[in-house]
Amino acid sequence: MRARLMTMMVIVLLVSTLVTNCTPTPTQAPTPTKEAAAPTEEAAPTEAPPPPAPEFIEVGASIPLTGKYGALGAMVKPGYEYAVQDINDKGGVYVKEYDAQIPIRLTIYDDESDPTKAVSKLETLYSEQNVVAYLGGAASDMHAATAAIAEKNKVPYLGIAFALYAIHQQGYQYLFSPFPKSPAQARDVFEILNAEIPEGERPTKVAIFQETTDWGIELAGLWKENAAQYGYEVVVHEQYAPRSEDFSDMILKAKQAGAEMLLAVPNPPDGIAMFKQMSELGWTPKFSLIIRAPENITWGETMGTVGDYVTIFPGWHHGEKFPGVEELNAKYQAEFGRPADLLTGPAYACVQILADAIERAGTLDRDAIRDAIAATDMTTVVGPVTFNADGTGNVLNPLIQWQNGQQELVWPKDHATADLLYPAPPFEER
Amino acid sequence: MQKKGSQVSKKIAISITIVLILIATAALPLVVKKDSTINLAILVFLYVTLSSSWNILGGYAGQTNLGHAAFFGLGALTTRLLWLSGRPFILSLLAGACVAVGFALLIGIPAFKLRGVYFSIGTLALAQILYITVGNVFPMITSLPTQALITYQLVPRYYLALVLALLTIGTAYLLVNSRLGLGMMAVREEEDAAESLGVSALQHKLLALSASAFFAGLAGGAFAYYHVGYYPQFPFTPVWTFDAVMIAYIGGTGTIVGPIIGGIFYVVVKELLALKLVELHLIVFGVLFILAVLFLPGGLVEVWSKIQTAFARRARGQEAQAALPRDTGI
Repeated sequence: MRARLMTMMVIVLLVSTLVTNCTPTPTQAPTPTKEAAAPTEEAAPTEAPPPPAPEFIEVGASIPLTGKYGALGAMVKPGYEYAVQDINDKGGVYVKEYDAQIPIRLTIYDDESDPTKAVSKLETLYSEQNVVAYLGGAASDMHAATAAIAEKNKVPYLGIAFALYAIHQQGYQYLFSPFPKSPAQARDVFEILNAEIPEGERPTKVAIFQETTDWGIELAGLWKENAAQYGYEVVVHEQYAPRSEDFSDMILKAKQAGAEMLLAVPNPPDGIAMFKQMSELGWTPKFSLIIRAPENITWGETMGTVGDYVTIFPGWHHGEKFPGVEELNAKYQAEFGRPADLLTGPAYACVQILADAIERAGTLDRDAIRDAIAATDMTTVVGPVTFNADGTGNVLNPLIQWQNGQQELVWPKDHATADLLYPAPPFEER
Repeated sequence: MQKKGSQVSKKIAISITIVLILIATAALPLVVKKDSTINLAILVFLYVTLSSSWNILGGYAGQTNLGHAAFFGLGALTTRLLWLSGRPFILSLLAGACVAVGFALLIGIPAFKLRGVYFSIGTLALAQILYITVGNVFPMITSLPTQALITYQLVPRYYLALVLALLTIGTAYLLVNSRLGLGMMAVREEEDAAESLGVSALQHKLLALSASAFFAGLAGGAFAYYHVGYYPQFPFTPVWTFDAVMIAYIGGTGTIVGPIIGGIFYVVVKELLALKLVELHLIVFGVLFILAVLFLPGGLVEVWSKIQTAFARRARGQEAQAALPRDTGI
């Protein structure tokens, strides 16, 4: 009995030591310095000296590092951290109000992919760290909860890894997202096809396999709307619940209707099941835009040749030729053994946008920073960024295609790492 | 006589402690102005309500319900739909609880034909069916309108959660100390024996299920009032069941205090670990949970009884020592 108690006490002591010695993951930040390059106008004798600069610019993020969105959060976190590190290596952000360069201190919490916990983390960041801005996590439901808290607390919020447009239709003033949204995804697919494929060869008969989720409903509606406008005809529009196992009925309907293009936003298990069954039932669309499921880097390995020729709109690709991408890839390669992941670039861009906005605002006042973000007009690692009044970003929406088990950037042409392969050969001939 | 006196003073001490705790919790938002603390307290009360409500059926009536999230979710769904469509919040909240009870009664009669682990699996399956159905029928995120966000205050949510927690604990206390409660416990201990003594097992189990569902529905309604934006399917996720069960086990099932201590431990320790350890917190919390189960199978309430026993043993030892003739060394 005594030995048991002793063991328990030792373990509890160890855990307590671990807890008290650990802190959340603030980024390494140098001490604030006077901006060397800042204009040093001689102050008039009556001008008051600037107030003492705070030690850090506090920024907070709640990211799903564990739970069902853990894989997304793992791509977002390094993007934020690298950007903060790069900015701090240069001394921080120049803030005119203090006439000083101030380093950013980023506090990251894990919300376990639970919107209730994400809300709690954002309240903590607001009350304890007094953050000037929030950086979002990943996935629509997480952003729906956290963006609302940002609105409540009046803290500027930059979030990526969600394409759901509905969140931006709430009238939020503090939400900004430099990430392609459903309207762009629904429009660009037809624009790219019309630009890349000669008339007469285009896959004009469209099948939509709509997931019964908010994003699925939103995109299906927009696809239908745009199809007619760009000269395409929706011949099959079928619905399915997430985590369905049998897609054979809708596949056979698409095959029977002679559909040449497939549009869908399945989650990874559904996407895998869908394509395996398409292969078994012998229906190969000439062109497939499958958002979400094939974004996972394991798609190529899991699907083999069946997964090739599928295209996606993931928001970014490491092959883009914008300033800073090469350095970001090198850093990522050194740490993870591969170029930066799809969400890492947009996450990096969020911090670039925030730093630029703080510098232009010249103050750490949240409303001034919000206004400065709204007026953003800069080039980041995801390319040029401006924002619309609803907080959606005007950003590039690159098209990626799986080719020989690799994600290749096929559009826009001037950034492409490979040509768009069209039409997709039948599954059995690959 | 002396024993009776010490019992009276013990009761007075307990009453004073309860009153002090009530005053402290009621005054918290007046003293603490940090939203993060108020938010954490709301979560504690919410989990205490949910766990205490599970404990009525699981702890006292001995029916391990693994579909508790269904009641919580139905409360949340009904309250949110009615409230956001302009109905008075209190009416929406009560409607949510009533819908949860209605569903409980609907599933109760067939579900109680199952016993033991089959009952648990049956309730889990029913909750999963509801989870998937709600996801299909209500796929859109429910967010508070921007106008509501501007006026959003945590303090009314805090008092609502506090009142619900007190109501659940109070009802559980009254129920357990009543004839009905004794019947429930008799069913828990040996159903057939209870039946042979004239205690209707089905009636008592249905009553416990209804009470359990009612308070879980209220907790769901409070969640709907508190949360700014979520998928309607979210309160139906099994995690709400497992959290309630874990809290009851950490604190001590079949006790009034267990879910309270468990709720505080679960929410506060987990949050502290999450803030301090970030990516490692789930592992550390898991270790702590395993330790609690291994060394305190009766839950954290057992710590108190162990301390009392240790003190009593020590006091008895000292008395016995004093009674022994002293060795003068001559």
